[in-house]
Amino acid sequence: MWWVRRGKGGAPAGESDPGVPDVALGEARGSTPRVATDGLIAVSGLTKRYKGVVAVDDLSFVVRPGRVTGFLGPNGAGKTTTLRMILGLAVPSNGTATIGGVGYAELAEPLRRVGGLLEASAAHKGRSGRNHLRILCRSVGIPLQRADEVLELVGLTPAGRRKFKGYSLGMRQRLGIAAAMIGDPQVLILDEPANGLDPDGIRWMRDLLKALAADGRTVLVSSHLLAEMQLLADDLVIIAAGRLVASGTVESVVNSIAPTGAILVRTPDADKLSAALAGDAVVTINDAGDLYVTGVDAAAIGEAAARSGAILHQLTTQRADLEGVFLELTKTKAAIR
Amino acid sequence: MTLLDSPALAGAHRTGSTPARLVTAEIMKIRTTNTWWLFLGGVLLFTSLALTRNGARHDFDLNPQLDGLSPSDKAQALAQAAQAHTHASLDAIAGDMMTSGQFLGVLFAMIIGILVVTNEYAHQTATATFMANPRRTRVIMAKFAAAACFGALFWLASTVLDVIVTPIYLHSEQVGVALSDWGVVRSVLLNLLAFVMWAIFGLGLGTLVRSQVGSVVTGMSAYLVGIAAVAIIVQLIYTVYHHAWVESAIVIAPAVASLVMTTPGRIDIDNPPPQWAGVAVMLAYTVAFGAIGILLTRRRDVS
Repeated sequence: MWWVRRGKGGAPAGESDPGVPDVALGEARGSTPRVATDGLIAVSGLTKRYKGVVAVDDLSFVVRPGRVTGFLGPNGAGKTTTLRMILGLAVPSNGTATIGGVGYAELAEPLRRVGGLLEASAAHKGRSGRNHLRILCRSVGIPLQRADEVLELVGLTPAGRRKFKGYSLGMRQRLGIAAAMIGDPQVLILDEPANGLDPDGIRWMRDLLKALAADGRTVLVSSHLLAEMQLLADDLVIIAAGRLVASGTVESVVNSIAPTGAILVRTPDADKLSAALAGDAVVTINDAGDLYVTGVDAAAIGEAAARSGAILHQLTTQRADLEGVFLELTKTKAAIR
Repeated sequence: MTLLDSPALAGAHRTGSTPARLVTAEIMKIRTTNTWWLFLGGVLLFTSLALTRNGARHDFDLNPQLDGLSPSDKAQALAQAAQAHTHASLDAIAGDMMTSGQFLGVLFAMIIGILVVTNEYAHQTATATFMANPRRTRVIMAKFAAAACFGALFWLASTVLDVIVTPIYLHSEQVGVALSDWGVVRSVLLNLLAFVMWAIFGLGLGTLVRSQVGSVVTGMSAYLVGIAAVAIIVQLIYTVYHHAWVESAIVIAPAVASLVMTTPGRIDIDNPPPQWAGVAVMLAYTVAFGAIGILLTRRRDVS
């Protein structure tokens, strides 16, 4: 069964109920000492209403440790608002968002648990990047040397003492990631971190985030770069118009629209063709009457059609493509509300 | 060792925010930009100008020009000079000189208060600040403390200049006033209070009007235009209701209140408001805007 239920509050079939921590995942990572529930982000019934606009509407999903989770949605879908609520910066109208079972504002030392990046250009223009980080260290009692460590981590050491206004967008993103890493957090929440990075920077970011997830950390990252997301993410949460449209592993979400290796067949003679296909073929028919055939190749289907006299309107081998899936999933939702 | 390992964090035993750490972080925010020392320069500049102006004014009071005056005017001028040489008057002159620079100095204190909060929104650092410390009341209290520290620093700079110049000036005027007189010391200390209060007032204003330009313009208008506006309104009412307290009500203008608080004699009207009224009005503004600052910061979404 590979359908993802679409529409209001839909959780993909076969996924565990949002809000119920899946502790077993921690063991799946083998020897990692971190406890899975420590870094589990659980969003449940989250709603944010502004005057006349419901920015986030009864949203529920979970983000698991040890994996990179891509958070996708068209412009205005409510991604940033959701992240702001998770990070305690905006108060939900309804519902809850917890990290390791606790609301952000209740965390004893939030920066030691969670690192967030919301705006890349968020530093005083006249202050050096290094001082920006040192102020963060100072406010939460982390030794100031940590600022130099994270500058090194993001490759910004040579520019550390320069003023922020001279930074390129890519350098600003790196500084934002450095700030998120200040407390060596278990959970990272990054809003569009790849924006403005050059190809080299994007690869660096991908490697870093994958390494952090492999280290057992939770990585939630929003992006518009779908091809990049397909390379980077293990799981996906897709929202549109403030509502969940799909969540699950990248494979399950992509296959929900276009099963890998399946062949799309459009024919007015579905029954005749199904009967003519050999025993290995598995045929599924969706609501629109399209056939998805797995287990045999296109040539075999063509031959079966010729044998049975079934008329073919279309015979296409599906390729898994997140972009196509994303557009399909979000196409009926008004982007700007 | 990989890049993810952190000797700094491994060696850190007692992390976590405390009020003292929050305050030092807020002070560091001001210290790591150019604004504060530019303002400090402004305070010193305006203090020098004020010392020159006040010195000239008191010089005229103490040593009136008698040449070319009619005998009756001459007699009046001499009487005024004699009045200026009484102990109380000399105390007032010394107090005035020792608080020179207050009128525009507190303006800098107010603007630094405004910047402490509006900078966070103008440069979008509020997200980082409140992610690090979601307990917002503690953050805003730390901001109040940091703004007050810089208010006090501006006072110190202004006062140091006054302390250097005033004895030299008084000596050259050949009047003997002990700067340790309680009246003088009280003025200097109340001047400190004024600088601190204006910084806190500015911070509250900054939370109310989050636009940097908007709040600076509002604050400066309230300070500079406020005097004229309140004076006109009060005088209009005073012509109808000729009660002393109506004229004294000019103290509700914040700039007048802080002048009255430190050096009551400086308001040149028939019924100057009493010093306690200046203190009360300044305190009311400070508490009101401080409360606004705390309430808005707690309730608002950070964006």
